[in-house]
Amino acid sequence: MGRLSWRLATVAEVRPETARVVTLALEVPGWDGHLPGQHVDVRLTAEDGYQAERGYSIASAPGSERVELTVERLDDGEVSPYLAGELRPGDQLELRGPVGGYFVWEPGRGGPLLLVAGGSGVVPLMAMLRHRAATGSQVPARLLYSSRTIEDVIYRDELDRLAAAGDGLAVTHALTRAQPAGWSGYARRIDAVMLEEVGWRPDEHPLAYVCGPTRLVEAVAGQLVALGHDPARVRTERFGPTGVP
Amino acid sequence: MTMDETDLRLDGNAVAGMLAELFGFDMTVEWGGCAGCGATNQLGALLVYAHGMGAVACCPGCGQALLRVARGEGRWWLDLRGLAWLQLDEQARVVG
Repeated sequence: MGRLSWRLATVAEVRPETARVVTLALEVPGWDGHLPGQHVDVRLTAEDGYQAERGYSIASAPGSERVELTVERLDDGEVSPYLAGELRPGDQLELRGPVGGYFVWEPGRGGPLLLVAGGSGVVPLMAMLRHRAATGSQVPARLLYSSRTIEDVIYRDELDRLAAAGDGLAVTHALTRAQPAGWSGYARRIDAVMLEEVGWRPDEHPLAYVCGPTRLVEAVAGQLVALGHDPARVRTERFGPTGVP
Repeated sequence: MTMDETDLRLDGNAVAGMLAELFGFDMTVEWGGCAGCGATNQLGALLVYAHGMGAVACCPGCGQALLRVARGEGRWWLDLRGLAWLQLDEQARVVG
């Protein structure tokens, strides 16, 4: 049995999500599936041989025809400006994965589910929600999603549709920098009061998945534990300094 | 807001690919014991500081470095002295 190695993927489609975020739909020969929440590592090699690797969460649900990565362009980034600015259909990429079974949710793990995202931290959570919808899961789920502005909300239309399906998913947005006229939702960063209003009670024993910039993830995880949630049921994935919402 | 060490902190998810290539297992779901404080964690929950050459993974309980990994000159370097033990589940073997 071989160890994990790099393989070549071909870009089939580049789909803009917001002004700074694109989804790359990849054809990966021999792909044998992934679990919702996993990621892949992408490796770029410059002409002089210099290599840079970064992890990107898989956005698509298991069983999708293509592997989709949603990538935010960071202006000072080494890899993302290329992935989210230069790549065109037909281009090839080296990738390794899927990896990261720790930050994974499947319907069999139960719930209720509390998903908390900041910015592009919504990507692995979206794979979970897409899988939940595709499998007809009735596990109650709540997504609390923090973005800078309404234009920065990734998957906005699809989230509206998923929440309107009436299968037990509620989506709550927090807009931290600017709000559209008539906005009645949250207009601040995620805090303990918001988690208490939106989330489940500790005695409902939710499974929580928190993903986004490191500061947000650590603040939210700390607040959940302070509210009385079992630390063993709070899973985190830190994206580092990535686009602080 | 200025950036400091906090912003750069990642977790075990960030080294999942590197460790899978090295060990042949999805190490993020594997359990390890801290030789310093005795805490038991899945490696996905460790605090990770990544550098160009490699990474250091620390205990979320006491901060002790559990695992240091670096790559260079065609070799992997691995320092596990902060780990009291490591448990590998055969089901978590990775096929690549």
